[in-house]
Amino acid sequence: MTQDELTETFQTVQGQLKSYILRIAASVEDAKDIVQDTYLRATEKRETFRGDSSVKTWLFTIASNLAKDNLRVKKRWVENVTDITKEAALSNPAFFSEAMQIRATSPQGQFEIKEHIVFCFTCISKSLPLEQQLSIFLKEVYEFKVSEIVQILDTTEAMVKYYLHTGRSKMIQVFDNRCALINKEGVCHQCSELNGIFNPQQQQQEELVKLDLVKQAEKADKEHLFDLRMQLLQEIDPFESPAAELQLHHLEHNRTVMETFLKKNDQ
Amino acid sequence: MIQTQLNKATTVRKTFSRTTSISTEIVSDPGIIWALLTNASDFSRWNSTITSLEGKIELGKKIQLRSILDAKRVFKLSIKEMVPENRLTWGDAMGKRTFTLVSIGNGLIRFTMIEKIGGPLFPLFAGMIPSFDASFEQFAADLKKESETIMNAN
Repeated sequence: MTQDELTETFQTVQGQLKSYILRIAASVEDAKDIVQDTYLRATEKRETFRGDSSVKTWLFTIASNLAKDNLRVKKRWVENVTDITKEAALSNPAFFSEAMQIRATSPQGQFEIKEHIVFCFTCISKSLPLEQQLSIFLKEVYEFKVSEIVQILDTTEAMVKYYLHTGRSKMIQVFDNRCALINKEGVCHQCSELNGIFNPQQQQQEELVKLDLVKQAEKADKEHLFDLRMQLLQEIDPFESPAAELQLHHLEHNRTVMETFLKKNDQ
Repeated sequence: MIQTQLNKATTVRKTFSRTTSISTEIVSDPGIIWALLTNASDFSRWNSTITSLEGKIELGKKIQLRSILDAKRVFKLSIKEMVPENRLTWGDAMGKRTFTLVSIGNGLIRFTMIEKIGGPLFPLFAGMIPSFDASFEQFAADLKKESETIMNAN
Protein backbone atom coordinates (compact mmCIF):
# COMPACT_ATOMS: atom_id res chain seq x y z
CA MET A 1 0.00 0.00 0.00
CA THR A 2 1.41 3.39 -0.94
CA GLN A 3 1.20 6.42 1.34
CA ASP A 4 -1.29 7.97 -1.06
CA GLU A 5 -3.53 4.89 -0.86
CA LEU A 6 -3.35 4.96 2.93
CA THR A 7 -4.19 8.67 3.04
CA GLU A 8 -7.09 8.19 0.65
CA THR A 9 -8.62 5.38 2.71
CA PHE A 10 -8.02 7.26 5.92
CA GLN A 11 -9.86 10.28 4.56
CA THR A 12 -12.78 8.04 3.62
CA VAL A 13 -13.12 6.49 7.07
CA GLN A 14 -11.90 9.23 9.39
CA GLY A 15 -15.44 10.50 10.07
CA GLN A 16 -16.49 7.02 11.20
CA LEU A 17 -13.30 6.62 13.21
CA LYS A 18 -13.88 9.92 14.98
CA SER A 19 -17.49 9.16 15.88
CA TYR A 20 -16.50 5.62 17.00
CA ILE A 21 -13.80 6.90 19.34
CA LEU A 22 -16.03 9.69 20.61
CA ARG A 23 -18.69 7.13 21.51
CA ILE A 24 -16.12 4.96 23.26
CA ALA A 25 -14.25 7.69 25.09
CA ALA A 26 -17.01 10.31 25.51
CA SER A 27 -14.36 12.96 24.99
CA VAL A 28 -14.06 15.28 22.00
CA GLU A 29 -10.39 15.94 22.65
CA ASP A 30 -9.54 12.25 23.00
CA ALA A 31 -11.47 11.45 19.83
CA LYS A 32 -9.55 14.04 17.83
CA ASP A 33 -6.18 13.03 19.31
CA ILE A 34 -6.72 9.32 18.83
CA VAL A 35 -7.85 9.70 15.23
CA GLN A 36 -4.81 11.85 14.48
CA ASP A 37 -2.53 9.34 16.24
CA THR A 38 -4.16 6.55 14.25
CA TYR A 39 -3.05 8.18 11.02
CA LEU A 40 0.47 8.74 12.33
CA ARG A 41 0.72 5.17 13.63
CA ALA A 42 -0.63 3.78 10.35
CA THR A 43 1.94 5.81 8.42
CA GLU A 44 4.74 4.45 10.61
CA LYS A 45 3.52 0.89 10.22
CA ARG A 46 2.39 1.14 6.61
CA GLU A 47 5.04 -1.25 5.33
CA THR A 48 4.00 -3.93 7.83
CA PHE A 49 0.44 -4.00 6.45
CA ARG A 50 0.12 -7.38 4.72
CA GLY A 51 -3.43 -7.13 3.48
CA ASP A 52 -4.76 -9.75 5.93
CA SER A 53 -7.71 -7.43 6.46
CA SER A 54 -9.14 -4.40 4.68
CA VAL A 55 -7.34 -1.11 5.28
CA LYS A 56 -10.48 0.13 7.06
CA THR A 57 -10.37 -2.82 9.49
CA TRP A 58 -6.67 -2.21 10.04
CA LEU A 59 -7.26 1.48 10.81
CA PHE A 60 -10.05 0.58 13.25
CA THR A 61 -7.65 -1.90 14.88
CA ILE A 62 -5.05 0.81 15.43
CA ALA A 63 -7.66 3.26 16.71
CA SER A 64 -9.21 0.65 19.03
CA ASN A 65 -5.80 -0.18 20.50
CA LEU A 66 -5.07 3.48 21.13
CA ALA A 67 -8.51 3.91 22.71
CA LYS A 68 -8.01 0.82 24.89
CA ASP A 69 -4.65 2.17 26.09
CA ASN A 70 -6.36 5.44 26.92
CA LEU A 71 -9.36 3.89 28.67
CA ARG A 72 -7.85 0.85 30.39
CA VAL A 73 -6.91 2.81 33.49
CA LYS A 74 -10.17 4.76 33.68
CA LYS A 75 -13.15 3.57 35.67
CA ARG A 76 -16.21 2.40 33.83
CA TRP A 77 -19.35 4.50 34.21
CA VAL A 78 -22.51 3.31 35.94
CA GLU A 79 -25.91 2.34 34.52
CA ASN A 80 -27.68 5.28 36.15
CA VAL A 81 -25.24 7.79 34.66
CA THR A 82 -28.11 9.93 33.35
CA ASP A 83 -29.59 10.30 36.85
CA ILE A 84 -26.25 11.37 38.29
CA THR A 85 -25.47 13.82 35.50
CA LYS A 86 -28.99 15.25 35.52
CA GLU A 87 -28.70 16.06 39.22
CA ALA A 88 -25.33 17.73 38.60
CA ALA A 89 -26.75 19.75 35.70
CA LEU A 90 -29.70 20.94 37.75
CA SER A 91 -27.37 22.29 40.42
CA ASN A 92 -25.15 24.00 37.85
CA PRO A 93 -26.84 27.09 36.32
CA ALA A 94 -23.87 27.65 34.00
CA PHE A 95 -24.60 24.38 32.20
CA PHE A 96 -28.08 25.43 31.06
CA SER A 97 -26.98 28.97 30.36
CA GLU A 98 -24.23 27.71 28.01
CA ALA A 99 -26.59 25.19 26.43
CA MET A 100 -29.25 27.84 25.77
CA GLN A 101 -26.60 30.06 24.20
CA ILE A 102 -25.57 27.22 21.87
CA ARG A 103 -29.22 26.50 21.11
CA ALA A 104 -29.81 30.15 20.19
CA THR A 105 -26.67 30.86 18.18
CA SER A 106 -25.08 27.72 16.76
CA PRO A 107 -25.96 26.21 13.38
CA GLN A 108 -25.44 22.87 15.13
CA GLY A 109 -27.44 23.84 18.19
CA GLN A 110 -30.78 22.19 17.46
CA PHE A 111 -32.29 19.82 19.95
CA GLU A 112 -33.73 16.64 18.49
CA ILE A 113 -35.06 13.75 20.53
CA LYS A 114 -33.41 11.16 18.30
CA GLU A 115 -30.04 12.85 18.84
CA HIS A 116 -30.55 12.62 22.56
CA ILE A 117 -31.46 8.91 22.29
CA VAL A 118 -28.12 8.36 20.57
CA PHE A 119 -26.31 10.49 23.15
CA CYS A 120 -28.00 8.54 25.94
CA PHE A 121 -26.81 5.22 24.50
CA THR A 122 -23.26 6.55 24.30
CA CYS A 123 -23.34 7.43 27.99
CA ILE A 124 -24.97 4.23 29.23
CA SER A 125 -22.79 1.98 27.07
CA LYS A 126 -19.84 3.20 29.09
CA SER A 127 -21.14 1.10 31.97
CA LEU A 128 -20.36 -2.05 29.98
CA PRO A 129 -16.96 -3.71 30.25
CA LEU A 130 -14.74 -2.10 27.59
CA GLU A 131 -14.55 -5.11 25.25
CA GLN A 132 -18.33 -5.45 25.28
CA GLN A 133 -18.76 -1.76 24.50
CA LEU A 134 -16.23 -1.89 21.64
CA SER A 135 -17.83 -5.03 20.18
CA ILE A 136 -21.33 -3.58 20.30
CA PHE A 137 -20.31 -0.40 18.47
CA LEU A 138 -18.20 -2.23 15.91
CA LYS A 139 -20.95 -4.73 15.06
CA GLU A 140 -24.18 -2.85 15.58
CA VAL A 141 -23.20 0.66 14.51
CA TYR A 142 -20.18 0.37 12.21
CA GLU A 143 -21.35 -2.97 10.76
CA PHE A 144 -18.15 -4.97 11.04
CA LYS A 145 -18.47 -8.74 10.76
CA VAL A 146 -17.61 -10.94 13.73
CA SER A 147 -14.48 -12.14 11.88
CA GLU A 148 -13.35 -8.51 11.46
CA ILE A 149 -14.00 -7.72 15.13
CA VAL A 150 -11.84 -10.73 16.00
CA GLN A 151 -8.99 -8.99 14.13
CA ILE A 152 -9.71 -5.55 15.55
CA LEU A 153 -9.83 -6.71 19.17
CA ASP A 154 -7.18 -9.42 18.69
CA THR A 155 -9.29 -12.08 20.34
CA THR A 156 -11.20 -15.23 19.42
CA GLU A 157 -14.50 -15.59 17.63
CA ALA A 158 -15.95 -17.18 20.76
CA MET A 159 -15.05 -14.19 22.89
CA VAL A 160 -16.45 -11.70 20.37
CA LYS A 161 -19.70 -13.68 20.41
CA TYR A 162 -19.65 -13.57 24.20
CA TYR A 163 -18.99 -9.80 24.27
CA LEU A 164 -21.76 -9.13 21.75
CA HIS A 165 -24.37 -11.33 23.38
CA THR A 166 -23.64 -10.19 26.92
CA GLY A 167 -23.30 -6.52 26.05
CA ARG A 168 -26.46 -6.53 23.98
CA SER A 169 -28.43 -8.40 26.67
CA LYS A 170 -27.23 -5.96 29.31
CA MET A 171 -28.13 -2.88 27.27
CA ILE A 172 -31.57 -4.29 26.44
CA GLN A 173 -32.16 -4.90 30.14
CA VAL A 174 -30.98 -1.42 31.16
CA PHE A 175 -33.15 0.38 28.59
CA ASP A 176 -36.13 -1.84 29.29
CA ASN A 177 -35.90 -0.88 32.95
CA ARG A 178 -35.16 2.80 32.45
CA CYS A 179 -36.33 4.25 29.15
CA ALA A 180 -39.82 5.75 29.28
CA LEU A 181 -39.92 5.79 25.46
CA ILE A 182 -40.20 2.00 25.36
CA ASN A 183 -41.59 1.25 28.80
CA LYS A 184 -44.39 3.23 30.40
CA GLU A 185 -42.95 2.37 33.82
CA GLY A 186 -39.47 3.57 32.79
CA VAL A 187 -37.90 6.06 35.18
CA CYS A 188 -36.01 8.18 32.65
CA HIS A 189 -37.85 10.83 30.63
CA GLN A 190 -34.80 12.98 30.04
CA CYS A 191 -35.09 13.28 26.25
CA SER A 192 -38.68 14.52 26.57
CA GLU A 193 -37.82 16.83 29.45
CA LEU A 194 -34.96 18.42 27.53
CA ASN A 195 -37.09 18.70 24.42
CA GLY A 196 -39.58 20.68 26.49
CA ILE A 197 -36.81 23.06 27.54
CA PHE A 198 -35.10 23.49 24.16
CA ASN A 199 -38.18 23.25 21.92
CA PRO A 200 -41.00 24.70 24.05
CA GLN A 201 -43.27 25.33 21.06
CA GLN A 202 -42.98 21.84 19.66
CA GLN A 203 -45.81 19.30 19.76
CA GLN A 204 -43.75 16.71 21.53
CA GLN A 205 -46.01 13.74 20.96
CA GLU A 206 -46.00 14.39 17.22
CA GLU A 207 -42.21 14.40 17.24
CA LEU A 208 -42.02 11.23 19.27
CA VAL A 209 -44.29 9.18 17.05
CA LYS A 210 -42.06 9.98 14.07
CA LEU A 211 -39.53 7.62 15.63
CA ASP A 212 -39.89 3.92 14.84
CA LEU A 213 -38.47 3.16 18.27
CA VAL A 214 -41.45 4.90 19.87
CA LYS A 215 -44.05 3.78 17.31
CA GLN A 216 -43.15 0.14 17.80
CA ALA A 217 -42.52 0.30 21.53
CA GLU A 218 -45.68 -1.54 22.56
CA LYS A 219 -45.81 -4.28 19.97
CA ALA A 220 -42.19 -5.02 19.07
CA ASP A 221 -39.97 -7.35 21.07
CA LYS A 222 -37.02 -6.03 23.05
CA GLU A 223 -34.46 -7.30 20.57
CA HIS A 224 -36.12 -5.41 17.74
CA LEU A 225 -36.37 -2.23 19.81
CA PHE A 226 -32.65 -2.50 20.46
CA ASP A 227 -32.04 -2.83 16.71
CA LEU A 228 -34.13 0.30 16.11
CA ARG A 229 -32.03 2.15 18.67
CA MET A 230 -28.91 0.98 16.85
CA GLN A 231 -30.34 2.24 13.56
CA LEU A 232 -30.51 5.71 15.05
CA LEU A 233 -26.85 5.47 16.02
CA GLN A 234 -25.97 4.44 12.48
CA GLU A 235 -27.86 7.40 11.03
CA ILE A 236 -26.35 10.13 13.20
CA ASP A 237 -22.83 11.48 13.02
CA PRO A 238 -22.23 13.12 16.41
CA PHE A 239 -19.80 15.66 14.89
CA GLU A 240 -21.80 16.61 11.83
CA SER A 241 -25.46 16.49 12.84
CA PRO A 242 -27.64 19.61 13.28
CA ALA A 243 -27.53 18.99 17.04
CA ALA A 244 -23.81 18.25 17.27
CA GLU A 245 -22.62 21.26 19.24
CA LEU A 246 -25.42 21.03 21.78
CA GLN A 247 -24.94 17.29 22.31
CA LEU A 248 -21.14 17.51 22.48
CA HIS A 249 -21.46 20.24 25.11
CA HIS A 250 -23.75 17.91 27.07
CA LEU A 251 -21.35 14.99 26.62
CA GLU A 252 -18.41 17.00 27.93
CA HIS A 253 -20.53 17.93 30.94
CA ASN A 254 -21.45 14.30 31.60
CA ARG A 255 -17.85 13.12 31.28
CA THR A 256 -16.62 15.73 33.72
CA VAL A 257 -19.40 14.89 36.19
CA MET A 258 -18.75 11.14 35.91
CA GLU A 259 -15.00 11.49 36.36
CA THR A 260 -15.60 13.46 39.55
CA PHE A 261 -18.30 11.03 40.71
CA LEU A 262 -16.17 7.93 40.10
CA LYS A 263 -13.16 9.46 41.81
CA LYS A 264 -15.27 10.40 44.82
CA ASN A 265 -17.01 7.06 45.04
CA ASP A 266 -14.01 4.99 43.91
CA GLN A 267 -16.23 2.70 41.87
CA MET B 1 -12.73 -39.50 42.92
CA ILE B 2 -16.33 -38.35 42.83
CA GLN B 3 -18.60 -39.96 40.24
CA THR B 4 -20.88 -37.30 38.84
CA GLN B 5 -24.05 -37.95 36.88
CA LEU B 6 -24.97 -36.22 33.66
CA ASN B 7 -27.68 -33.56 34.14
CA LYS B 8 -28.70 -35.03 37.49
CA ALA B 9 -27.40 -33.88 40.84
CA THR B 10 -26.06 -36.46 43.26
CA THR B 11 -25.56 -35.91 46.95
CA VAL B 12 -23.38 -38.11 49.13
CA ARG B 13 -23.91 -37.65 52.87
CA LYS B 14 -21.33 -38.61 55.47
CA THR B 15 -21.18 -37.91 59.19
CA PHE B 16 -18.93 -34.89 58.85
CA SER B 17 -19.59 -33.78 55.31
CA ARG B 18 -21.98 -33.57 52.40
CA THR B 19 -20.98 -33.50 48.75
CA THR B 20 -23.24 -32.54 45.86
CA SER B 21 -22.15 -32.89 42.26
CA ILE B 22 -23.42 -32.67 38.71
CA SER B 23 -22.05 -32.74 35.17
CA THR B 24 -23.40 -31.60 31.85
CA GLU B 25 -22.10 -31.61 28.31
CA ILE B 26 -22.07 -28.28 26.51
CA VAL B 27 -21.62 -27.64 22.79
CA SER B 28 -19.68 -24.42 23.08
CA ASP B 29 -16.26 -22.88 23.34
CA PRO B 30 -14.52 -23.19 26.72
CA GLY B 31 -13.72 -19.46 26.51
CA ILE B 32 -17.42 -18.64 26.47
CA ILE B 33 -18.21 -20.93 29.41
CA TRP B 34 -15.25 -19.59 31.34
CA ALA B 35 -16.29 -15.99 30.65
CA LEU B 36 -19.79 -16.73 31.95
CA LEU B 37 -18.40 -18.36 35.09
CA THR B 38 -15.97 -15.55 35.87
CA ASN B 39 -17.98 -12.39 35.10
CA ALA B 40 -19.54 -11.73 38.49
CA SER B 41 -21.72 -8.77 37.56
CA ASP B 42 -23.37 -10.70 34.71
CA PHE B 43 -24.13 -13.88 36.69
CA SER B 44 -27.68 -13.13 37.77
CA ARG B 45 -28.69 -12.29 34.18
CA TRP B 46 -28.26 -15.86 32.92
CA ASN B 47 -28.19 -17.92 36.10
CA SER B 48 -31.59 -18.27 37.73
CA THR B 49 -30.16 -19.77 40.93
CA ILE B 50 -28.08 -16.72 41.84
CA THR B 51 -29.83 -13.48 42.69
CA SER B 52 -26.68 -11.40 42.94
CA LEU B 53 -22.94 -11.79 42.86
CA GLU B 54 -20.78 -8.85 43.87
CA GLY B 55 -17.03 -8.48 43.69
CA LYS B 56 -14.50 -9.74 41.19
CA ILE B 57 -13.88 -13.37 40.40
CA GLU B 58 -10.12 -13.19 40.54
CA LEU B 59 -7.69 -15.36 42.48
CA GLY B 60 -7.54 -14.31 46.13
CA LYS B 61 -10.44 -11.86 45.81
CA LYS B 62 -13.68 -12.07 47.81
CA ILE B 63 -17.17 -12.23 46.40
CA GLN B 64 -20.59 -11.85 47.99
CA LEU B 65 -23.17 -14.27 46.67
CA ARG B 66 -26.91 -14.37 47.20
CA SER B 67 -28.71 -17.51 46.16
CA ILE B 68 -32.35 -18.52 45.73
CA LEU B 69 -31.75 -21.20 48.36
CA ASP B 70 -31.65 -18.59 51.13
CA ALA B 71 -32.52 -15.12 49.86
CA LYS B 72 -31.64 -13.38 53.13
CA ARG B 73 -28.20 -14.83 53.51
CA VAL B 74 -25.07 -13.39 51.93
CA PHE B 75 -22.31 -15.93 51.34
CA LYS B 76 -18.89 -14.30 51.64
CA LEU B 77 -16.58 -16.46 49.60
CA SER B 78 -12.95 -16.38 48.51
CA ILE B 79 -11.67 -17.31 45.10
CA LYS B 80 -9.28 -20.12 45.94
CA GLU B 81 -8.24 -21.51 42.57
CA MET B 82 -8.38 -20.30 38.98
CA VAL B 83 -6.96 -22.14 36.00
CA PRO B 84 -8.35 -20.37 32.91
CA GLU B 85 -10.87 -22.38 30.91
CA ASN B 86 -10.28 -25.37 33.19
CA ARG B 87 -10.87 -25.00 36.92
CA LEU B 88 -12.42 -22.50 39.34
CA THR B 89 -12.89 -22.94 43.09
CA TRP B 90 -14.57 -20.63 45.55
CA GLY B 91 -15.43 -21.25 49.16
CA ASP B 92 -15.32 -20.34 52.83
CA ALA B 93 -14.42 -22.06 56.09
CA MET B 94 -17.39 -24.40 55.79
CA GLY B 95 -16.91 -25.65 52.29
CA LYS B 96 -15.87 -25.14 48.72
CA ARG B 97 -17.38 -25.36 45.27
CA THR B 98 -15.27 -26.39 42.28
CA PHE B 99 -16.17 -25.96 38.63
CA THR B 100 -14.20 -27.84 35.99
CA LEU B 101 -14.27 -27.74 32.21
CA VAL B 102 -12.83 -30.59 30.15
CA SER B 103 -12.88 -30.85 26.37
CA ILE B 104 -14.16 -34.30 25.39
CA GLY B 105 -13.98 -33.92 21.61
CA ASN B 106 -16.44 -33.07 18.83
CA GLY B 107 -16.81 -29.56 20.22
CA LEU B 108 -18.22 -30.88 23.50
CA ILE B 109 -17.15 -29.54 26.86
CA ARG B 110 -17.92 -31.48 30.01
CA PHE B 111 -18.82 -29.08 32.80
CA THR B 112 -18.69 -30.46 36.34
CA MET B 113 -19.67 -28.70 39.55
CA ILE B 114 -18.92 -30.20 42.96
CA GLU B 115 -19.62 -28.65 46.35
CA LYS B 116 -18.35 -30.18 49.57
CA ILE B 117 -19.43 -28.76 52.90
CA GLY B 118 -18.45 -30.08 56.26
CA GLY B 119 -16.18 -30.03 59.28
CA PRO B 120 -16.13 -31.19 62.89
CA LEU B 121 -19.33 -29.30 63.75
CA PHE B 122 -21.15 -30.32 60.58
CA PRO B 123 -23.44 -32.89 62.32
CA LEU B 124 -24.88 -30.08 64.47
CA PHE B 125 -26.21 -28.02 61.58
CA ALA B 126 -26.48 -30.57 58.78
CA GLY B 127 -30.23 -30.77 59.14
CA MET B 128 -30.64 -27.03 58.63
CA ILE B 129 -28.90 -26.90 55.27
CA PRO B 130 -31.32 -27.34 52.37
CA SER B 131 -30.70 -29.78 49.55
CA PHE B 132 -28.63 -28.35 46.70
CA ASP B 133 -29.83 -30.89 44.14
CA ALA B 134 -32.50 -28.86 42.33
CA SER B 135 -30.35 -25.74 42.39
CA PHE B 136 -27.37 -27.66 40.93
CA GLU B 137 -29.49 -29.05 38.12
CA GLN B 138 -30.83 -25.60 37.32
CA PHE B 139 -27.34 -24.03 37.45
CA ALA B 140 -25.97 -26.59 34.99
CA ALA B 141 -29.00 -26.24 32.69
CA ASP B 142 -28.73 -22.43 32.69
CA LEU B 143 -25.01 -22.54 31.92
CA LYS B 144 -25.55 -25.02 29.09
CA LYS B 145 -28.37 -22.97 27.59
CA GLU B 146 -26.56 -19.63 27.76
CA SER B 147 -23.23 -21.02 26.49
CA GLU B 148 -24.88 -22.73 23.53
CA THR B 149 -27.01 -19.67 22.73
CA ILE B 150 -23.91 -17.48 22.56
CA MET B 151 -22.00 -20.08 20.52
CA ASN B 152 -24.80 -20.22 17.94
CA ALA B 153 -25.42 -16.46 17.81
CA ASN B 154 -24.26 -13.95 15.21
